[in-house]
Amino acid sequence: MGEGRGMTTTKQKTTKRLVSALAAALALFAFTERAEAQQILLTGPLAGAPAVRKLRWHRKGRFEVAPAISFTLLDEYQRTILMGARLNYNFTDWLSFGAWGAFGAIKIPTHLSEQIQEVNASRRQFDPTSMYRQRQLTAVNLGPDFEKQLGSMDWVVAPQLTAVPFRGKLALFQSIYLDTDLYFFGGPAFVGVTERKNCEECIDSFEMASRVAIAPTFGLGFTFYINKWSALGFEWRGLPFSWNTSGFDTAGGGKDKKFPDNKITNDDRQFNFNQMLTVSYNIYLPFQYKVSE
Amino acid sequence: MKSSPIGLLVAVALGIFPAQSWAQAKAGGKVTVAGKAAATKDSEGVIDADASGSAAAGSDAAAAEGAPAAGDTAGEAGEEGETPTGSGLEDICKIDPAACPNLDMDKEAARPLKEQIFAVQQAYALRVRRFELQAGWSQSLNDQFVSHPTPNLALNYYITNVLAIGINGQYYAPFNLDKDFNAQVRRAARVAVPLTEYQWGAALNFTYVPAYGKFAGFGDFIFHYDAYVVGGVGAMSVRPIPVIDPDNRNFEYQTKLAFNAGIGLRIFFNRWFAAVLEVRDYVFNDKLESLTYSRIPGPGPNGAANPNTWYGETSLTNNVQAQLGAAIFIPFSFNYRLPK
Repeated sequence: MGEGRGMTTTKQKTTKRLVSALAAALALFAFTERAEAQQILLTGPLAGAPAVRKLRWHRKGRFEVAPAISFTLLDEYQRTILMGARLNYNFTDWLSFGAWGAFGAIKIPTHLSEQIQEVNASRRQFDPTSMYRQRQLTAVNLGPDFEKQLGSMDWVVAPQLTAVPFRGKLALFQSIYLDTDLYFFGGPAFVGVTERKNCEECIDSFEMASRVAIAPTFGLGFTFYINKWSALGFEWRGLPFSWNTSGFDTAGGGKDKKFPDNKITNDDRQFNFNQMLTVSYNIYLPFQYKVSE
Repeated sequence: MKSSPIGLLVAVALGIFPAQSWAQAKAGGKVTVAGKAAATKDSEGVIDADASGSAAAGSDAAAAEGAPAAGDTAGEAGEEGETPTGSGLEDICKIDPAACPNLDMDKEAARPLKEQIFAVQQAYALRVRRFELQAGWSQSLNDQFVSHPTPNLALNYYITNVLAIGINGQYYAPFNLDKDFNAQVRRAARVAVPLTEYQWGAALNFTYVPAYGKFAGFGDFIFHYDAYVVGGVGAMSVRPIPVIDPDNRNFEYQTKLAFNAGIGLRIFFNRWFAAVLEVRDYVFNDKLESLTYSRIPGPGPNGAANPNTWYGETSLTNNVQAQLGAAIFIPFSFNYRLPK
């Protein structure tokens, strides 16, 4: 008993010490914060002056029309080149609202898809009509032409908000000087996707179906201003959503639905962190920019 | 002798009087350019008695940002921009009319300044004869089958301000990740893709810095950056991951000649510490696992356990790595060759 009481007392003391130390630490933090928050009263001609004078407002009050070409990255089965444009209105030099839209103009199967189709074709050449033993195990997954069952991104429309926190300039070889900015954007995206149609009896059923996937989109980009009214843009965009890129039956069966079930269902849509790089030529309207004081 | 203290006092008074008149904006009268700047820029309504001195300091600060500041104007105007209406000046004019300044301030203010303003003035951080120690974490960008994250270390020495020679190294071995996607493809299509894992990489590199600049963040603070290209030659230790016949095949790491080329961006937090973002492609000739396997057991000449039967075709492989890291320049300080 006595020992237990003693232990309790020691614990209480320790707790008290801990609480005191914590309170003291918090007090110190609070004190430091207050000290750091003190405003330095600048006097003289630079008091209240902006960090940059005569700043060329390339964006403020201007529309941005930017034809753009986007290249998807890290695709497993098919690369897509999207042609489109970005349209923004810049309320201020650091905030704009607009949309990016593009359609999947060129679709290029990856080397993996070519390899799969090569093997698939060689299996089928034995007997293209009957279910030959060599392709029994892949009958649900591989149609006559694997490249035609691949999921594709047909179009994208993404209303987006763009923030431009960083403005600057760049000296190239000490002879070419460019105004630049670094921007971040984000918003919802509506993606037109074509992928293998859901089926219960999926052997020899390789029809495709289209749907609209809604996904977040975000990214960052650099703008290099060539003159008063145009610029080159480079941006990276993330567009994560789940879709069936291969047309394979990969899930839906077993306890956790992570085993094939010989059906094509929504469970076969795998989460993909779709990424793309975009190159754009930006045109700003009106052609003349404003300059800060 | 008795009048000498009074003379000294008058001399001192004359000496300090012009300084006071520069800083004070006269109500209803003409004001100096410095006075105007102070009056318009100081939102608190504080007028600094040492405005001309501040302006000079301010001009340095502003010039460092590459923009002509009001301080420049103030500094120039302050030298000859006094208005001939103050009582002190009237006294001077009375004593010596020839020495009385007679300037049209509007005309002087409109006079174009011919000061040379550089588009980008003094590089913020000089690199010449400094070591750069880089440490960071890399992530492979182009391999959808096996990801190859790695810590990365580099040491560069800048022979000139734009050219450096250096070494770098990576240690991939514990971090290779065979993705689930590979197993799914094997299961669904009965097609196996040869996979490769990396152990380490090292290279001798040259770095060239063709571009530098600065950014204003949120219109409030300014940071400097430079962009570089890097290329070199070195080695990578790699081996296939057995997927075709894992029961018999157990590959040893082999060292391959590897070339690399890349671009990078350095953002300076101060003159010796920077964040680094780099994308570099390491190219090497990879020997892939054979897609066929021997049905003959044992280590005989064509046996499944004979390593000579394990390798298939060779393939030029790109290992594109994106690195995020930090750079420290040593020595920490440096001197500019010219004052500006």
